[in-house]
Amino acid sequence: MTLRDWVQNGWLAEQQTTPDEISNLLRIAQRDLSDSQTPGLSADWRLNIAYNAALQAATAALAAQGYRAGREAHHLRVIHSLEHTIGASGSLITRLDYFRKKRNASGYELSGATSDQEAKEMLALARKLRDEVRTWLIAKHPELCGGDLA
Amino acid sequence: MSTSDQGDRLSTTLFGRTRRAVLALLYGHADEAFYLRQIARVSGTGLGTVQRELALLTAAGIIRRDARGRQVYYRANAECPVFAELKSIVTKTVGAGDTLRAALRPLAGRIRVAIVYGSQAAGRARTGSDVDVLVVGRVTFAQVVSALAGAQAILGREVNATVYPPTEFRAKVAQGHGFLKRVLQGPVMFLIGGENDLARLGSKWVVG
Repeated sequence: MTLRDWVQNGWLAEQQTTPDEISNLLRIAQRDLSDSQTPGLSADWRLNIAYNAALQAATAALAAQGYRAGREAHHLRVIHSLEHTIGASGSLITRLDYFRKKRNASGYELSGATSDQEAKEMLALARKLRDEVRTWLIAKHPELCGGDLA
Repeated sequence: MSTSDQGDRLSTTLFGRTRRAVLALLYGHADEAFYLRQIARVSGTGLGTVQRELALLTAAGIIRRDARGRQVYYRANAECPVFAELKSIVTKTVGAGDTLRAALRPLAGRIRVAIVYGSQAAGRARTGSDVDVLVVGRVTFAQVVSALAGAQAILGREVNATVYPPTEFRAKVAQGHGFLKRVLQGPVMFLIGGENDLARLGSKWVVG
């Protein structure tokens, strides 16, 4: 399946992006990478913030290809689109998806069910993804790299 | 750890193949009723064999046979004097314990303790309840979740994992960390390790 098929399925919508939007998404990713290391925050919350950094980076890659994800299963689509945007490995996508599920579960009855190690694992994953997205943007979409790529 | 090797032998030694399969289905989903063909299909046994087993278990009052019109359904008998105990045995062995133990086996050398907590451990799990697993060991979250992915498919339930390295677990227990305290004071089912291993990690397992 290609991203064009995803549009047919109603999973994505076409939308032109701008260097400003890309730079803004990467700035949020950078902010969240930093904020997720704020001392004193719970591991649950640090994992959440690092996860958001990863999601913003993935959203930037999708936007660069001219798409945005629909509302339904938004996070799932954004994460799985990485295969078609930056050509992310199956292992990276699977790991990111594990954290998506963990985050869903820990939002409700399992508050506190995140270890420091898990928050760090998510942070390392988010950082790796952000770096991959940035490298890919510079190589494949230099026209969108006019702004600050954080 | 010897407990993980013993895992699937528990149920195969206690029950014969057909009985194990029937009890796993009926006591593993004690809030549901099943008809003969369903039971035969899930247990992978011939209709005749299953029918004989169902007759024996019904006669002993371990399961209930209900006829609705022309359909006959079987379910776990909640009035059986050992209903709770049987349900617990099934849950700890064929129900989920065996499956989870087998899934974690490739990582067992690096896991000090693995437990199921929450509704599954308390025997209050309903169809669709998640299975909550806590792992203490030198493994990553991604490794554990990936190992458990197959078990999730077999059990037909979401398996949520929380993974602590031994040092972090020890430190959090010493601090009286809220989540760990709740988990360790509630009912738990050991998958790998036991009370002694928890004690060595600085924790008491308070309630049985």
